[in-house]
Amino acid sequence: MRRRNFLTRTGAGLAGLTALSGCTGDGGDGTESASTESATDTEATESATEAGTTTGSVEELSGTLSVATYSSFVGDGAAGNWLKSEFESEHPEVTVEFETPENGLNQYIQRKSEGAPIDADLFVGLNTGELVRADEQLDETLFATASDRIDGADTVRSELQFDPDGRVVPYDTGYISLVYDEGEVDAPGTFDALLEPAYEDALIAQNAQQSDPGRAFLLWTIYNKDPDGYLDYWVGLVDNGVTILSDWEQAYNAYSDEEAPMVVSYSTDQVFYHGEGVDMSRHQVGFLNDQGYANPEGMAQFVDSDDAELAQAFASFALTAPAQREIATRNVQFPAVEGVDPGGDFGEYALEPPEPVTFTYDELSGNVSGWIDEWARQIASN
Amino acid sequence: MDARVDRLALPVGVIATLATLLVVFYYPVGSVLVGAVRVGGQLSLEPLGAVLGDPFYADRFGFTAYQALLSTVASVLVGLPGAYLLARFEFPGRRFLRSVTILPFVLPSIMVAVGFLAMFGRTGLFNDLLAVVGLGPVELTFTLEIIVLAHAFYNAPLVTRLVTAAWESVDARRVETARTLGASPLVAFRDVVVPQLLPALLTAAVLTFLFTFMSFPIVLALGGLEFATVEVWLFARVQNLALTEAATLGAIETALSLGLIYVYLRFEAMQLGAGGGSRSIDREPLLAGWRSLVDPRRLALLSYGGVVLVLFVGPLASLVVESVTTPEGQFTTDYYAFLLAQQASAATGTVQPVPAITNSLLFAAGALVLALPMGVVVSVVAARETRGSRIAEALLTAPLAVSGIVLGLGMLRTLVFGTELFGHRLTVTGPVAIVAAHAVAGYPFVTRTVTPALSAIDDRLVDAARSLGASRTTALLDVELPLIAAALVAGAAFAVAISIGEFDTTVLLAEGVDSATMPVALERYTGNRSLGPNLGPATAMGTVLLAVTTVSFVVIDRVGGRWER
Repeated sequence: MRRRNFLTRTGAGLAGLTALSGCTGDGGDGTESASTESATDTEATESATEAGTTTGSVEELSGTLSVATYSSFVGDGAAGNWLKSEFESEHPEVTVEFETPENGLNQYIQRKSEGAPIDADLFVGLNTGELVRADEQLDETLFATASDRIDGADTVRSELQFDPDGRVVPYDTGYISLVYDEGEVDAPGTFDALLEPAYEDALIAQNAQQSDPGRAFLLWTIYNKDPDGYLDYWVGLVDNGVTILSDWEQAYNAYSDEEAPMVVSYSTDQVFYHGEGVDMSRHQVGFLNDQGYANPEGMAQFVDSDDAELAQAFASFALTAPAQREIATRNVQFPAVEGVDPGGDFGEYALEPPEPVTFTYDELSGNVSGWIDEWARQIASN
Repeated sequence: MDARVDRLALPVGVIATLATLLVVFYYPVGSVLVGAVRVGGQLSLEPLGAVLGDPFYADRFGFTAYQALLSTVASVLVGLPGAYLLARFEFPGRRFLRSVTILPFVLPSIMVAVGFLAMFGRTGLFNDLLAVVGLGPVELTFTLEIIVLAHAFYNAPLVTRLVTAAWESVDARRVETARTLGASPLVAFRDVVVPQLLPALLTAAVLTFLFTFMSFPIVLALGGLEFATVEVWLFARVQNLALTEAATLGAIETALSLGLIYVYLRFEAMQLGAGGGSRSIDREPLLAGWRSLVDPRRLALLSYGGVVLVLFVGPLASLVVESVTTPEGQFTTDYYAFLLAQQASAATGTVQPVPAITNSLLFAAGALVLALPMGVVVSVVAARETRGSRIAEALLTAPLAVSGIVLGLGMLRTLVFGTELFGHRLTVTGPVAIVAAHAVAGYPFVTRTVTPALSAIDDRLVDAARSLGASRTTALLDVELPLIAAALVAGAAFAVAISIGEFDTTVLLAEGVDSATMPVALERYTGNRSLGPNLGPATAMGTVLLAVTTVSFVVIDRVGGRWER
């Protein structure tokens, strides 16, 4: 155990000196590793020799990193597995493991609030609303303020940064938009148009209580209709026959079955559907009011992590240009880092809204759960 | 048999049953429900008051009961003719049909939803059929009607199965006696057969009402938010971590359900009379040449066959068709190739189909081995006419009365997070915990099928055996068990079905993907976008699940059938 700690720390110090991984090494790390070095001098020599003989390069990181994420982030060909294998081949002494609890972030919020142990080091895949929920539920923070120790955090596009406390670093974003069948309806163009008879029974949306795109779409309507006016707007949508299904899969499946000609989805829809023999008229992306609602996904190191450095190194790795390109392509979401172009099919078929909009953490804090509750009661009472 | 074993067998069985229930049921559920009456460590009626005083929730409970009532009526209407057909007529494939009546029970709701949308959707097969005869189209999707239909899909087989078992155990000699005493066939049916079917029918109706009252995934999948039941709302509260409100909703649901179970058990106890060794009524051949075409009963059954084709075969066949069809309507084998690729993949986090099948079968076998004795023990307790035995039975049937979401939340907080005991944090997860949880979910079905059969046994038979020197245990094994074999087999099929179809606690208690079952694999594949956003891979897995479970149930019935008379 002591040796593992030591290796990790020395590694960070050395990396800072040699700038092998572009690590700038801040003051905190320097002091720490210096004191460790003096305390365990003999071990230092030992391990330096060992590392030198085994790989011929400087060993920097070792140990097991436990990453908590959602289940579709891992599996054959998924972004998580690419990150794992690349990170492990850059750091042969590191093993990356995944935890994918069914209830996602709630699992860790509940563990924290009940004093149960949290084994994961890093959470990958939380959005603004979830961070707000975590903070509202807990007296102590779940995540460490570590973004200044994550390389590349400052290269993330500023409009995607959603944590004012510097805990969560975004790694990709989706834009919520409509997907529609242009053989059946014209692009509605505006939120108001959705209330017109031309769009009667035309839209399938998702339940904002449990679906990410559903929640983002609701927030998008609040963004445009204000907290005072969005319920009236939704009464109008319900009167015009909107269908609200529980999650994205069901909604999209119903859309595929031609239950309705429009569905709330992502602006990357065509990335999946281009190709020979595919009828693209069924995969038109519609931005309302020339906007798309940005739903950035971020990663954050658990404050209880016993291997913070490893977690931060993994997060840094996820922000490098090659990782950003892979995450974008495999997760079918836009990269978060400024100036990264995934190229290929993604570059050709992913559509960005003219005006990305989103609520900030401060705007959601104290409001979002009330907005959703009011909305759900309104719909259910209809 | 050794007298000591004899004396200890029942108490040990009761204690083992209670211990299992305590760990994987009462403690987890209690830890959640206590939140309904405790705020900040103090007893408080405030949460209950807040929910009961909220007109919105009054509406939710009202709607929930209303749709459950409609669903129960629909399930009975669809299920009863099936029991009549299976119990009274002989035809090729009857046994197979009886075996597979249980199939709907194991299907994950997501698959039923896919099948129903493909069958009853705007562009579905049903509307195509209507168009052929110049009718339709009907708009059924996301209406109350389709929810009720899907509930009937799940629960009518329950009615069919329980009533068929009761019908088959009606003593033919009593019917014949009534006839020789001058009763018309109708009167004999009313006076002899109906009283024996009624308990089974009521059991099925009460169970259907309970299930549909706490229905969650079907309403979520086919209904849309405006049809939210209490359970759907409870789920949303849990998602938002509004746990006090969730606990309160769960406590009210549980109280209502337990109350219903108690009233029903009182009624059942009054209904049961002595039955005993009997000879089943002979079945008539279903096909009786040209006369079939003019016999109103057979014509009615023929049209019933049409209903079955549309309501049961339709969605299942649509599911299979979906598994070989691209979104553009072309034939494809890609989704099965996907399953093979998953099987071949060694990537972390990949759920492989073959281990999922093996796990499902292993867990089901384990759950069966545990649930059968548990169910029989509870039945033996229930069959004793002592004070408080109805209350004891109601509490021992509680797994039927508690919301699956409350149970899941409780398991998460007590078993998965762990409980401090003597300074150690104990967690209960992994395959053994999964099997125990499945057994707890399944044993009430064993009890519900076995209790009526056990109570109907003529006490004199057991007394006779004992006076001839048989121990209590020997009497149970040699006299009673053969008499309740049909009920046991029915209960066993339910226990296996519950285990194979179970998703929520499995995924909660599983440690990583190694314990994944078929429904878990299916759920994972719905989220897999490697073939684009469509449910093809999931429908392929659903088809595999359908095939594996069909074979399992045929085997159970064949093996079990050897013990039946």
